[in-house]
Amino acid sequence: MRDRLLKYFLVFPAIFVVASTAFWPLFQSFYLSFREWKLNRARESRALWDYEYDGLENIAYLFDNYLLALEDDLFWNSVRVTSIFTVTSVLVSVGLALGLALLLAPGGKFRLTVRTLLILPFAMSPALIGVSWRFMFQPDFGLFKAFFDVLIPPLADVDWLGDANLAMIALVGSEVWHWTPYLTLVFIGGLATVPQDAQEAAMIDGANSWRIFCDVTLPSILPVLAVGIVLKTIFSLKMFDQVYMLTNGGPGNATQTLAHYIYFNGFKYYNMGYASAVSYLLVIPMFGLTWLYMKLVFLKR
Amino acid sequence: MVKGSKNKFLDFLQFLVILLTAVFILVPIYWIVSGAFKHQVDIFQLKLLFTPTLENFEIIFRSPYNLFDKLVNSTLVALSTILIAIPIATMAAYSFSRFRMKGERLMFVTILATQFVPAVVIVLPFFILFRDLGILDTRLALVLVNLSLVMPFAIWMIKGFIDSIPLDSEEAALVDGSSRFQVILNVTLPMALPGVITAGIFCFILAWNEFLFALIITTNKAVTLPVGLSLFHAEEGVLWHLISAAGIMIMLPMFVLATIIQKHFVQGMTMGAVR
Repeated sequence: MRDRLLKYFLVFPAIFVVASTAFWPLFQSFYLSFREWKLNRARESRALWDYEYDGLENIAYLFDNYLLALEDDLFWNSVRVTSIFTVTSVLVSVGLALGLALLLAPGGKFRLTVRTLLILPFAMSPALIGVSWRFMFQPDFGLFKAFFDVLIPPLADVDWLGDANLAMIALVGSEVWHWTPYLTLVFIGGLATVPQDAQEAAMIDGANSWRIFCDVTLPSILPVLAVGIVLKTIFSLKMFDQVYMLTNGGPGNATQTLAHYIYFNGFKYYNMGYASAVSYLLVIPMFGLTWLYMKLVFLKR
Repeated sequence: MVKGSKNKFLDFLQFLVILLTAVFILVPIYWIVSGAFKHQVDIFQLKLLFTPTLENFEIIFRSPYNLFDKLVNSTLVALSTILIAIPIATMAAYSFSRFRMKGERLMFVTILATQFVPAVVIVLPFFILFRDLGILDTRLALVLVNLSLVMPFAIWMIKGFIDSIPLDSEEAALVDGSSRFQVILNVTLPMALPGVITAGIFCFILAWNEFLFALIITTNKAVTLPVGLSLFHAEEGVLWHLISAAGIMIMLPMFVLATIIQKHFVQGMTMGAVR
C-alpha cells in the first residue's frame, strides 16, 4: 500500500509547522526560565546554576527567576487582577449570553435580524475595541459622559479610567461587549439541540417555564455551557490587547494582567529569563484548562 | 383575560431587552463610525448633528501616518499566512480524516491544544531568534509567527469539511485506477473547496486582527493596522477623529468577511462542540 507512506507525507508539513511555531517556543521559554538574560546588557543568556561551582545543595539557584516572581508584589498584583478580571468577565458574559440566547432562540424576523448583529463584536480587532472604549470613557467628551450628563448627572464627571475599581469595570465591560454576543450565538446553537417533545410534554403536564428550564433545557445544554465557560476562561486568562489599549495596566498597576506583566518585563525591561519564568506560571494553569476543554469537546465522540 | 395581558406585557419586555441588546452592540461601533466623519472640533463638542467630512480619510493616508503602508502590510501578512497555512492544513486534514495512523488522536488533539498557548510565550523566543537573524520588523517574521495562530483552527475546520464528504466518490475513482494523489486532486479537493475557502477566511480574520505579535516584532516598516492605531498621539492629545477613520479600515472588511461565513465562524472557535 502506497497510502501508508502518503498519509505520513501529508501530515508531515503540518507537524513541522506546529512543532517549530508552537512547541519550539514553548520549550525555549521553559529553558530560558532557568537562565538569566537581560537582553539590553548581555548578548547571551547565563546559567543561574553551575553544578561544579555551586554544588548540588544550591540547586535552588536554578529556580531564581521563579523565586523572584513569587517574592514580587507586582507579580501577585497581576495574579489578583487576572483572577478578578477572569471571574467577573466569565460570570457576566456567560450569564448574559445564556439569558440572551433563551430570548433570541425562538426565531421570527425581529430576532433573526438582531442575531445577525451578534457576529460583529467578535469579528472586531480586540486592540480596536480597547481604543474605542478608551475613547468612549474619555472624561471630557466621551460617550459615557454624554450619557450620564442626561441620565445620572452625579456620574457625569467621573474619570472612569483614573480610578482603580472603575478602570477594572471599564475593562470587564469592554470584554463583556466583545464576548457576550459570540457566546450567545454558541448557546443558541446549543438550544437548538434541546429535545422539543420533552419540552412540550412538560408543558402539557403543567410545568411552569422556570421548571421547564431547570428540568429539561438546562441539563441538555450543560455540555455547551461548560465548553463556553472553559473557552472564555482560557481567553480571559491570556487577555492582553484590550488591557494594553484601554488602560495599559493603569491607573498604577490596578489593571495589570499577567500577560501585560510578562510583556512589560520582557519587552520594556528586556528581562527575558524572568519574563519566561512568569510565562510558565501562566502556562501551567492553562495546561489544566486546555486538558479540561479537550475532555469536554471530545467527550461525546 | 388576566393571563393574556400578562403575556402581552412579557412579550413587550422581551422585545425591549432584545432592542437594548442591539443598541448595546451597535453603540460602540456607531461611536467609531461617527467619529471618523467628524471634524476634530466636533469631537470635543459631542453634538449629535454635525457636518460630515471625508477629510480624516485623506489625512490618515498622508505623511506622517501613511496608513496605506499599514494597510498593505496587514493585507500581505494575513494573505501570506493563509496561503502557507491553508494548503499545509488541507493536506494534514485529509490524512487525519481518511487514514488511521499510529498516535493519530494524540497528534490531532496536541495540534488543536496549541491554540491555547498564550501569545506572549510564543513571541518571546521568536523575538530573540528574529533579532539574531536580523529580520525583526519584516513582514516575513510576522507571517512565521502568525502560522502558530492559524494552524490549529485551519486543520480542525478543514477536517470537519472533509469528514462530511462521502467516501463513495473517492472509492469509485480509486477502483477506476486513479492514484490516491489524483483522487485527492480531482475528486476530494473540488468538493472540499467551499470548506477550504471558509477556513481561509476565518484564518484571515484571525491574522488581520492579531495584535501582540505585531506590537513586539514590528516597529516601523512592517507595522500592521491594529498596531498603527498607536500612531495617532499628538502633543495636544489623542487624535480620536483619525483613530476612528483608521478603525473603520480595520473593522469594516472583517464585518463583511465574518458575515459571509457567519455559521462557521461560531463553530470555528468552539471546535464543533456546537453545531
